[in-house]
Amino acid sequence: MRVFWILLKKEVRAFFISPVAYIVLALVMVLGGFSFRAALAILESGPSEGSIVTWTFNALWFWLSYFFVFPLLTMRLFAEEKKLGTLETLFTAPVRTWQVVGAKYGAALVMYAVVWLPTLGNFWLLDWITGGAVEIPRGALQGSYLILLAMGLFHLAMGCLASSLTSNQIVAAVLSFTLSILHFLIGVFILTIGRKVPEPFVDLVHYIASVDHIRLFTQGVIDSRPLVYYATLAAFFLVLTHQVVEFRRWRP
Amino acid sequence: MIDALDLSKQYAGRVAIDRLNFQVDRGEIVGFLGPNGAGKSTTMRILSGFMPPTSGRAMVAGYDVFRESLAVRRRVGYMPEMAPLYQDMRVKEYLHFRAELKGLRGRDMRIRTGEVMELCSITDVRRRLIGNLSKGYKQRVALADALVHRPDLLILDEPTNGLDPTQIRQVRELLRSLRQDHTILLSTHILHEVELTCDRVILLHQGKICAQDTPRNLTRQLRATSAVRVELKGAEGEAQKDLQALTGVRKVIPRSRREEGWETYVLRVESQSDVRESIMDLALRKGWKIRELHRQLPTLEDVFVEITAGDGVPAQKG
Repeated sequence: MRVFWILLKKEVRAFFISPVAYIVLALVMVLGGFSFRAALAILESGPSEGSIVTWTFNALWFWLSYFFVFPLLTMRLFAEEKKLGTLETLFTAPVRTWQVVGAKYGAALVMYAVVWLPTLGNFWLLDWITGGAVEIPRGALQGSYLILLAMGLFHLAMGCLASSLTSNQIVAAVLSFTLSILHFLIGVFILTIGRKVPEPFVDLVHYIASVDHIRLFTQGVIDSRPLVYYATLAAFFLVLTHQVVEFRRWRP
Repeated sequence: MIDALDLSKQYAGRVAIDRLNFQVDRGEIVGFLGPNGAGKSTTMRILSGFMPPTSGRAMVAGYDVFRESLAVRRRVGYMPEMAPLYQDMRVKEYLHFRAELKGLRGRDMRIRTGEVMELCSITDVRRRLIGNLSKGYKQRVALADALVHRPDLLILDEPTNGLDPTQIRQVRELLRSLRQDHTILLSTHILHEVELTCDRVILLHQGKICAQDTPRNLTRQLRATSAVRVELKGAEGEAQKDLQALTGVRKVIPRSRREEGWETYVLRVESQSDVRESIMDLALRKGWKIRELHRQLPTLEDVFVEITAGDGVPAQKG
């Protein structure tokens, strides 16, 4: 466990000294501002069924920032070490593969949390300026950040896998971006196709559709099924990553 | 310290090393010598626990490198080829990280990193970013890293690769000073280097061990394959015949003229004989002028041709 903490500390530090983390931070803040502005505009235009929280996290701007976060945070993790050759020094120190994979994933998760934190400031600012005139439902807020974290667990694990497959950060980023987008598209598939598909299929798509999850959670409906779904997928992709990194130790 | 038994490794059908058997005793400095692609790095990676052998077994400090990989890694200080390092860390910070990773902690960790920085003469760059250091410094940072946890065995893959002559000498002296506390296995493709540092040499060629000996015995064997080059004037075409007549000369090969009047010959000589003196005597007798006379040391390639072919005739290089 000690080794894991040493590695985690190093990985988190590496994030903070690389410019990528700050670019992501800025990107999420700017796009977060746009989606917040879009949500305000909807509220201004007249009575609506959603709260400010719901509209913020269902804005197009939000999805835009969302998909860029994962590749940017995970592309470096393994690809850079492969390119530099430091994976060799790392794995000739007394460390276990799960400690390395866990530490890298953990650091990405920490950064992910850090990146989303400033967006909370928008809500706080609104509350402060209007003196509480705009209703900001606590449940919706908690639900939103909870589902954001759950979806992060999954997409970051997928990004880890992408990074472990190549020594080129660009390839890793493109792969992770593609996987994330594909997952999202399967979810919106049902919305574009309409209801012309068989019932069990609709249920299945609802189960995996990120759009649906966001819609529910940002209204304050906390459903355990998506949480289990994302956590399971995250575990699956982490195990895959572990196997890929461990691959060199396989006996043919 | 190291005990390799029928060690083999294949990459996707290509044989990298083929049934290697060798031992390294405690306190020895052993050099792996071989051209690029001979299997030096592969063997070292297996011994340091980075990857397993396809078949065969290797024990390091009494532990199996595959089954007890972590125990092996605690006792081995490994420096990979090209000394890969995290470019955006500072030297001291990197060594602290590595020392902690290898199980040192607190005061002991700080004292020990100070010691190895002193030992490798990198104390003055301890606050610099690794990415901005010169190749020589990077190499020494990697060496300090390999040393930091007081390993029983040091495995160094081409420790002097890419260094300038002064730095090579420094590293060599450092290695010699380390021999009291560590067993060292290093690899190189420079013949001269093993001669100066190692107690024993293992010659690798195409994944096989083709010779194991002390550098002394090995070089004696190599001297046998040497050639002598002479550049002379005034022989008027007689030289080849006369040189051929000298005892110990096996063959005389004329080289193209570079300058009017001067003739160049390369003489292949019998083992153990040095014909330079008799050439000089001959030239004095005949009244030739000599402006070059030297024994060509065989290149590593010659050695391998010699040892693998086993007929004592080196490959001639112009």
